[in-house]
Amino acid sequence: MSRDSDIKWRNPLFVWGGKSDVEELPTIPFRSHQEVWERTRQSRAKLNPVGRLRYYHKWAGHGGRMWNRLRYWPTRRRVLRLRGEYNPKTLRAEKTIVDKRPIWWVLGLLALAIGPLFTPGDLQNTLLTAGATFGIYSAISLCWMLIMGTAGIFSLASYAVVGTAAFATALLAVKFALPWWLLPPIGALVGLVFGGIIALPATRLDGFYYALLTLGLNELCRVYFVTSKEFGAANGGLYGATTYVPEDWSQLGQLLLAYYACFGLMLLALLLYRFVNGRRLGRILRMAPEKREAFAEATGVNFRQARVWVFVISSIGLGFIGGFYTANFGGVAFSIFNFDTVLLGLAMLVIGGIGRAEGAVVGTLIVVFFDQVMNTWGPARFMIIGLIMLLVVLYLRNGLFGIKAQFRAWRDKKKSERRSTRAEKGGEMLPEEATETDDKSIIYQRRYDKMTRDHLKTLVTAEIIEEHRQTLNGQHSEALERLLVYFRTRPQEEKYAIMAVERFAGYRIVALSGHRGVAPRVVEDKIYSTPDDACHGVFMRRIQDLLES
Amino acid sequence: MDIWFLVSNTIVLACIYGTLAIGISITWSSLGLLNLSYGFIFAFAGYGAWLFAQHVSPFGPAVLVAGILSGALGGVIICALGFIPIHDKPNFTIRGLIATLAINLIGTQFLLWWFGPRSKSLPEIFGDWSVSLSGAVFSADKVGNVVTSILMLTVVLRWMQSSRRGLEIRAMMMNPHAASIVGIGVRRTSFYVMGITGGLAGLAAVLLSQTYYISPFGGLMPMIKGVSIALCGGLGSVRGAVIAAVLLGLNEALTGVSIGGRYVLITQFTVIIAILLVRPRGIAGLLDRAREA
Repeated sequence: MSRDSDIKWRNPLFVWGGKSDVEELPTIPFRSHQEVWERTRQSRAKLNPVGRLRYYHKWAGHGGRMWNRLRYWPTRRRVLRLRGEYNPKTLRAEKTIVDKRPIWWVLGLLALAIGPLFTPGDLQNTLLTAGATFGIYSAISLCWMLIMGTAGIFSLASYAVVGTAAFATALLAVKFALPWWLLPPIGALVGLVFGGIIALPATRLDGFYYALLTLGLNELCRVYFVTSKEFGAANGGLYGATTYVPEDWSQLGQLLLAYYACFGLMLLALLLYRFVNGRRLGRILRMAPEKREAFAEATGVNFRQARVWVFVISSIGLGFIGGFYTANFGGVAFSIFNFDTVLLGLAMLVIGGIGRAEGAVVGTLIVVFFDQVMNTWGPARFMIIGLIMLLVVLYLRNGLFGIKAQFRAWRDKKKSERRSTRAEKGGEMLPEEATETDDKSIIYQRRYDKMTRDHLKTLVTAEIIEEHRQTLNGQHSEALERLLVYFRTRPQEEKYAIMAVERFAGYRIVALSGHRGVAPRVVEDKIYSTPDDACHGVFMRRIQDLLES
Repeated sequence: MDIWFLVSNTIVLACIYGTLAIGISITWSSLGLLNLSYGFIFAFAGYGAWLFAQHVSPFGPAVLVAGILSGALGGVIICALGFIPIHDKPNFTIRGLIATLAINLIGTQFLLWWFGPRSKSLPEIFGDWSVSLSGAVFSADKVGNVVTSILMLTVVLRWMQSSRRGLEIRAMMMNPHAASIVGIGVRRTSFYVMGITGGLAGLAAVLLSQTYYISPFGGLMPMIKGVSIALCGGLGSVRGAVIAAVLLGLNEALTGVSIGGRYVLITQFTVIIAILLVRPRGIAGLLDRAREA
C-alpha cells in the first residue's frame, strides 16, 4: 500500500457545509479494470513450435480407389491399415498410414534376406554362422514369447523342451540312421509329450511358483542328460546325426544353405506367432490379462483352456525347432541346458519387450550379435548382455519397443503437471469441476467475479481505508465507491451485520446465516462503542476477506 | 552303516539347503522380491571367504564369519541394484525377478573373469576329529555343519521374534502397505532383510564348500534346491520350509538307497509337482492370502 499523497479527492458536497464533511482527502490514482481483463485474456502457455501433435504424412488420395483396399488370402485383413479422409480445409482426398509396422517388418526381413550378399569377405564365416544361430534362436524366442506374452505363463523351461527334443531326435538319428527331414516332426512329437506333461502344473500354479518349478525342471533335464551314458556323457554332447547340408558343397554354399534354412525357420515361427497371437486364442487371452481373469471368467471366456492350448502349441513348435537344431548342427551339446543359456534367452525376450514379435526378433538380434560376433571378448560379452538386460528392466516398462508408449506417457504426465501449475484457483473452477457442473453460466460468473476481485484488490490502500474511517457516509472517492458497491452486492449468506448489545453504547459484529429462522453467528468478541466504529470494523473485515480470497 | 552314512548326509544337506530356502522365503514374503541371484551371492560369499583365508588368516571360525559378512554384502549389493530402483514401479514382481536374474548373469560372469574357471577350496573349518556313535561315524564337518546352521537359524529367528528390527520385518511380511503407513521404511527394512538373507546364503556357501568346492557357477544347484524347498514348503513360511527340507531330504535318501543317485532330481520334482498339484501354494502356504504388491 503505497502512500502517494499528492493526489487528492475533493468532496463535492463540502460546500453544503455538512457537519463531519472534509474538503480534501488523499487518494490513489485511477486504475483501469481493463488491465485485469487483458491479463486474464492473454495466454501464458509456453508454445513450442513443434511436437504437440502426432505427425502423420498425408498421402495423396486415389479418388474412387480410396475405399478399395488390398486384402490378402486366406484372411480378410488389409495389407496396411490406411485411413481415408477428406482434408477439412482443402477438401482434397488423402490417405494416412495408421500402422506402419508392416512396412518395417517387410524392410527388416528383406534386409535379412539379402544380407549375405553384402557381408565383408573376412567376416563372412562368422557372420553367416551367427546369422544361422540368430534364425534358430529367434524362432525359439518367438515360441517362448507366445508362452510368456500371449499365454502369460512365466515358464523358464523352453530351452529344456528344445534340448530334450534335440537330444531325443539325435539319439534316434544316430541309432536308426533316420533321414534329416524326419527329425523336426519327431521333435515336434517329443515337444507335444513334454509340453503336455509340464502344462499339467501350469493349470494349477500361478506366476512365480511356475517360474521356480520350471527353473528346477531345466536343471533336472541338464543333470539327467549329462549323467546318462546313452546321450554321450563323455564328449560334451551327442553328435553324428544326418544333416540337410550336403557334404560335397563348398564351405560358402553350406553356410548359405544353413543361413537360409534358419531364416525360413524364423519365418515359420513368425507365421505361428501370428496365427496364435493374432487370431482366436490370442483374442481370448487378451480378454483375460493378469489380475482381470475373474472378469473374463465371468463373461464366459475359458482362458485356462486357451492358455494350455497356447502352451501346448508353442511346445510343439519348440520341439520342432529342437529337431531342426539336430538336423542343422548334426547333433546337440549339453550347453543348451545351461542356466546361462536360459538367462540369455530370457534376455532376448526382455530386451525387446515381452508380448511382441518384433521384440523377440530384435532382442535376439542384439543378444546373438554380442554372443557370436563379439566372441573374442570372453566373459565380458555376457556381462554386457546382462548389463543391457538390467538397464532395460530397471528403466523401461516394456523393453525397447515399449519406449515410444512410455515416452508418450511421461510427456503427457509432464504436460499435465505444467498445466496444473499454470491454473489459478482463486474461485475459478478447475477443469474437472467445470466439466461436472450442469449450469455452465456458473463458470463464467465465477470467472467474472474473480476478475472483479483482482481489480478491487489493487484499490485497497491505506488512503482508502483512512478515507472510509473519516467519511463513513456521504460521497466517496471513485476507488472507495467501487469497493463499497462490491461489498454491498454480496449475497446474504455470511454477510456482516451490526448488532446492538446495548443501545448507544455497545455494538458487535455478527455474520448473517442467510436462512430464515437461523440466528446470526457472532464473529468477534470486540464491543464497539459507536455504530460508526462498528461500521468501519465491518469494512475492515470485508477488506480482510477480499484480500484473503 | 551305509544307511547311516546316507541319513547323516541327507541331514547335513537338508540343514544347508533349508538355510538357503528360509532366506528365499523371508525375502519373498517381506519384500515381494523373488531373489534368483542367490547363485551369485553364494559364489560371492565363497570367494570372499577364500580371499580371507588366503590373505588374512585360515582360522576356521574367522573364515566362516568372513563368508557370512561377504554374503551379507552381496545381499546389500543386490538390494541396492535390483530392489531399490524398481520397488515402487509398475509390474514390480516380474521386473524384480528379471533384474535379479540379470544381476546373477553379470555377477557370475564377473567372478569367472576375475578368478578364472578353476575351483578353489577352503581350509578345514571344524578340524578333522570324528565322533563314533553306536556304529555310525560322524565326521567333524558334518557335526559342525548341522550345529552351525541350526545355531545360525535359531539366532536369526530369535532375533526376528524379539528385536525392534525383527518386528519391522515381520510387520512388512504381514502387510507391507500398512507397515509403510505406520512408519516402517520399506527401503531401510529391505537392506536389513537382504543383508540377513545374504548372510544365510554366505553361511551355506562356506558350509557347503567343505563338501564341494567354490566355483563361479557353483551356486546354481544350491539355489535351485533352496528354491524348490521354499516353493514346496510355501513361499513365506519358515515352518513349511523346515517341513519341506526334511521331506525332500528323506526323499533324497530313499531314492539314493532304492533306485540310485541319478534319479534323485527326477523323484524330487515328481514329489514337488505332486505336492503343488494338491496344494498350489506349498505345504504351509495359504491359497488366498498371497502377498500382493
